[in-house]
Amino acid sequence: MTARDEAGAAGDGAGDAADVDPVTLEVVRNACAAIAEEMNANLVRTGYSPNIKERRDCSTALFDAEGEMIAQAETMPVHLGAMPFSVRAAVDRFPRETLSPGDAVLLNDPFRGGAHLPDLTLVSPVFVDGEVVAYAANRAHHADIGGARAGSVAADSTEIYQEGLRIPPVKYASGDEVNEDVLAMILANVRTPEERRGDLRAQEAANATGRRRFADLAERHGDELPTILDAVKDYSERRMRAEISDLPDGTYEFSDLLDDDGRGNEDLPVEVAVTVDGDEVVVDFEGTAAQTEGPINAVFAVTASATYYAVRCVTDPDIPPNHGCYRPVTIEAPEGTIVNPTLPAAVVGGNLETSQRVTDAVLGAFGSVVPERVVAGSQGTMNNVTFGGTDPRTESPYAFYETQGGGFGGRAGKDGMDAVHVHMSNTMNTPAEVLETAYPLRVERYELRENSGGAGQFRGGLGLRRDIRVRDHEATFSLLADRRTHAPYGLAGGEDGEPGDAALVDDDGADVDRLPGKTTRELPPGSVVSIRTPGAGGYGPASDRDPAALARDLRLGVVTESDAKSTYGDRLLDAAREYLSE
Amino acid sequence: MTEETRVGVDIGGTFTDFVTVSEGRLGVTKVPSTPDAPERAVLDGLESVDADGVDPAAVDFFGHGTTVATNAVLEGEWADTALVTTEGFRDALEIGRQNRPDIYDFQAEKPTPVVERDRRYEVGGRVDERGAELEPLAESDVRELAAELRETGVESVAVSLLFPFENDDHERRVREILREEGVDVPVSLSSAVLPEIREYERTLTTALNAGLKPVMDRYLGRLTDEVADAGVDAPVKIMQSNGGIITADAARERPVNTLLSGPAAGVQGATHVAGACGFDDVVTMDMGGTSTDVSLVTDGEPFVTTDTNVGDYPVSVPTVDIHTVGAGGGSIAWLDSGGALRVGPRSAGATPGPICYGRGGTDPTITDAHLLLGRIDPGAFLADDLSETREAVESAFADLAAELDTTPEGAAQGVLDVANANMERALRVVSVERGHDPREFALVAFGGAGPLHATELAAALDVPRVVVPRTAGVLSALGLLISDVIYDYSTSRVRRLADVDARDVRDTFSEFVAQGRERLAAEGRTDETVQFEASMDLRYAGQSFELSVPVDPDVDASTLDEARDRFDAAHERRYGHASPEEPVELVTLRLRARGLVSPPDLTVEAREGAVSDAVRETRRVVLSGDAYDAPIYDRSLLPLGGEFDGPAVVEGAESTVVVHSDQRVRIDDSAALVVEVGE
Repeated sequence: MTARDEAGAAGDGAGDAADVDPVTLEVVRNACAAIAEEMNANLVRTGYSPNIKERRDCSTALFDAEGEMIAQAETMPVHLGAMPFSVRAAVDRFPRETLSPGDAVLLNDPFRGGAHLPDLTLVSPVFVDGEVVAYAANRAHHADIGGARAGSVAADSTEIYQEGLRIPPVKYASGDEVNEDVLAMILANVRTPEERRGDLRAQEAANATGRRRFADLAERHGDELPTILDAVKDYSERRMRAEISDLPDGTYEFSDLLDDDGRGNEDLPVEVAVTVDGDEVVVDFEGTAAQTEGPINAVFAVTASATYYAVRCVTDPDIPPNHGCYRPVTIEAPEGTIVNPTLPAAVVGGNLETSQRVTDAVLGAFGSVVPERVVAGSQGTMNNVTFGGTDPRTESPYAFYETQGGGFGGRAGKDGMDAVHVHMSNTMNTPAEVLETAYPLRVERYELRENSGGAGQFRGGLGLRRDIRVRDHEATFSLLADRRTHAPYGLAGGEDGEPGDAALVDDDGADVDRLPGKTTRELPPGSVVSIRTPGAGGYGPASDRDPAALARDLRLGVVTESDAKSTYGDRLLDAAREYLSE
Repeated sequence: MTEETRVGVDIGGTFTDFVTVSEGRLGVTKVPSTPDAPERAVLDGLESVDADGVDPAAVDFFGHGTTVATNAVLEGEWADTALVTTEGFRDALEIGRQNRPDIYDFQAEKPTPVVERDRRYEVGGRVDERGAELEPLAESDVRELAAELRETGVESVAVSLLFPFENDDHERRVREILREEGVDVPVSLSSAVLPEIREYERTLTTALNAGLKPVMDRYLGRLTDEVADAGVDAPVKIMQSNGGIITADAARERPVNTLLSGPAAGVQGATHVAGACGFDDVVTMDMGGTSTDVSLVTDGEPFVTTDTNVGDYPVSVPTVDIHTVGAGGGSIAWLDSGGALRVGPRSAGATPGPICYGRGGTDPTITDAHLLLGRIDPGAFLADDLSETREAVESAFADLAAELDTTPEGAAQGVLDVANANMERALRVVSVERGHDPREFALVAFGGAGPLHATELAAALDVPRVVVPRTAGVLSALGLLISDVIYDYSTSRVRRLADVDARDVRDTFSEFVAQGRERLAAEGRTDETVQFEASMDLRYAGQSFELSVPVDPDVDASTLDEARDRFDAAHERRYGHASPEEPVELVTLRLRARGLVSPPDLTVEAREGAVSDAVRETRRVVLSGDAYDAPIYDRSLLPLGGEFDGPAVVEGAESTVVVHSDQRVRIDDSAALVVEVGE
């Protein structure tokens, strides 16, 4: 069976949305976006996990009474298209007539509305006059949700049962009272229960803000509101359809590869056929690798999210994100593949790694027809790093998780950005000073990776290098990363970027032991792990590069002379040298 | 110590504003700004002020709001700067926090690093999170880079190592060695500029400070010379972003503290005039041609944040928190491809300006919508042919109305509704989102367009009253005259509050107090006019954002308990929940040394006459969709203490106030209009 996500035709069940005037439309749309943003600000500022508070790995959104998304705060792309699946699952389990004010539904089960286990989603109905008028929802990446490895981002799981606690949609709160039994069961299964408790409280508070604000809005607009919300969705749909119509009709195919699943299964294809037909797009993943033993299976919600992201980027990113944007897009993903796996697949890396490859593949397909609207292959991985152990300073257990940025693809008219999170991720780093204060780790190096950007008329962005030392204790280290063998692709004649790499290094930073992309190790005290993230692909032929741009790269030391000689050739190198001598 | 004659000079994009106070009399002068050499407009203005009878030689206080640092940052025109940082962290300044500036925009760009990679140098040596030295400073590294710095001819150096807020020995030693090695350009240490945790933000702020030093130094050098040449003996004082005044020398040392000098002065001015009307809790709203600035004031103090952006750069020094939205009088209305009415971000600016300026503008703007609805005087814009511009406005709105399927007036009202929705969102960010109830506030409206929108916005937000001050057009310059002298001190001390030794905190505060006292004494301040305000930034252990709570600088164990209780209460108020059972963590200690300024007594001459005598005409005015024959008042003729009901329009030299049918106006003793918004 193929999972198919079709958001349905416009204006379902609301005949008069077309009558909503352009002023009311804009005023209400603005108000809904403001509510989602305020929920997000609240969540970030009161969260406990570094993932939430420093890295902003969390999202907030509002849904109408039908469970269709009407607004979201734009922070974490991989959440954005996936949240509707959570609300749908929550409402399937607890139909709205069974809900009461102050209820909240919690879930993380990737096979019932979730994405991967560390992402906990809380869905709260908004009541006005005893009726559900909307849902406030938020999703946050918790630093640990149990399972075999601290941090719950294990690279070596083979079944979801090893990945942590699986929470189907459950009633987390009733009438604003937390169900203490549910909470106790969660806390008994995680390594850092106090932090979980704090994060969940922040999630409740964010939804409380959303409920309060939305109820105010509903009061202002009364019975008209459902119709206005339909108009808000129709509005985004209209703009999306107009944008899609601008793309040439046709079917565009692309195939990209994941390195491996960490269990010895290598070169796993993500194949896509993108069909543009008038004002609609069909994205079909037929031909993609069968679901695999290692934890890189992306549940359908994640695949859908990655696909919607790519479509939004090649159309007009200014279109307000809501259910209407998704209506003209159909996604087909064969069941039993790494883009639509079934139980008991391990999935943690599907959200983190495979989602990136899905984006790479869809963008690659668009790149064959409208290269100026896309970018060359970006780092294509989130470089998930986890350290866990017992902090010798406090004798308390800790789990530290972070992801690392890398190269952003070269683009028509511009070099790619260096050392940023790409596509499905947009988290912030954990400052070294915060990391060292909170965890028994030390950052020894944090720098741009020279020569890692793919050559081209517009160079691919650079990857980065981050070396972290384990202080005075034994730690479990886990790496979940890709693009170690298959490099980010160049576009329009540009060269590929430099694949990523990792190693244990000595005190001088020299490699002593190379690490594969997906690995879990016990590290003795004093070990230093060095992560080098991929550079991105270049755009356009290297021979077309402006010598002044190459000269600048040389002056800044991000491209070395010997590398420039082999990639750009003597003629360009000489011209660049001339600039430098001026 | 009350200065008899004070001059405040604020340099804006178009005009340089002067406010003078001489013998209790307030004077206002505006001269065109001279962006190439801002000090020239200052001299022009001084001449004009002199002509008005304020003798430069008699000036006791000269306060200045400057945009020199801001413009340098926005235009990327800072000095050639080098950065010295901890080995392994050369690129931390460029990598930033790794997030990209826009999620979906493939053409987005990271900010240019303040110091380019080939000017960033690493030195060996390491300090840990408690300040213990793990590895001594590699002095030879410093000497080597000093040799390079001499050759490259950089104009300024920033030094930002890890954990200098716990131990600044290495940073100070780096500076010493640079001096020994003959590097004689200014050196900014991060332990002095921003001794707070998070290396990227601290390094960036320090690098900006270093880059701005030569710029500020040159500018203030010229300005102080020329002001002295113009006969002013009083030293030049500068407004900082935190709303406090400092000496010109202090501003040369910390130019990064002046990035929002002018806007901060504006909030100070608004706070002062609102206070004079009896309102200490206010939201300020400054609406100009292209954007609107809003900010929050509680208990007579503007809200100060350490989380601000200037251009693309996060700047972490204490700054009056000003939230900006891209909606101003010149914002253009348009129907987008999805059929929603949008207003801005495109603006007609000053040239060509709105259609009603008669300078060739053709796109309907917010100002044009007001004109069409009769809310502003069509004769106010000096257009050559009034009927022609009026027709042009009508025709533009007729076109828009056809697209919207409504009347031209309906379209104009729609433009105002959408603009108000944008502004309401900004007003909510600064008030409701911070846990404040708008019903307890007054809205102070200024800038050319602020009072046109404020009464409607206040009603939407349940703000009970709007204050439109007399000097609404020059509040920044006025703010310079009434602001205290302020020096802020801080240091990060990240540890559980339960483990904090009260004596250590007291010692830190005592050290800050001593520094502050010395600084203020050097400016002639005696103890009677000096005040010290201590605060602690706290959070629940494990959180990442802090709330600042006031404490007595003479800290003992009970002070720490009180601070904790205040923190729980503040958290409850701001975020709607608190956790009194959870451990609390101290992050940063702050001390503000304040030299008090006694504000001038600005009495307003009583005006005779009846309210009805101030009615200039009656005009058709459309308010919230209803048309009225509303009286148009001449503000300058309204008697103090007078009252009247809406609907009405009050026209003044600086702005126009719209009063709705259920609202009532009072002219208070400071000649401010206070509009009671009602239910």
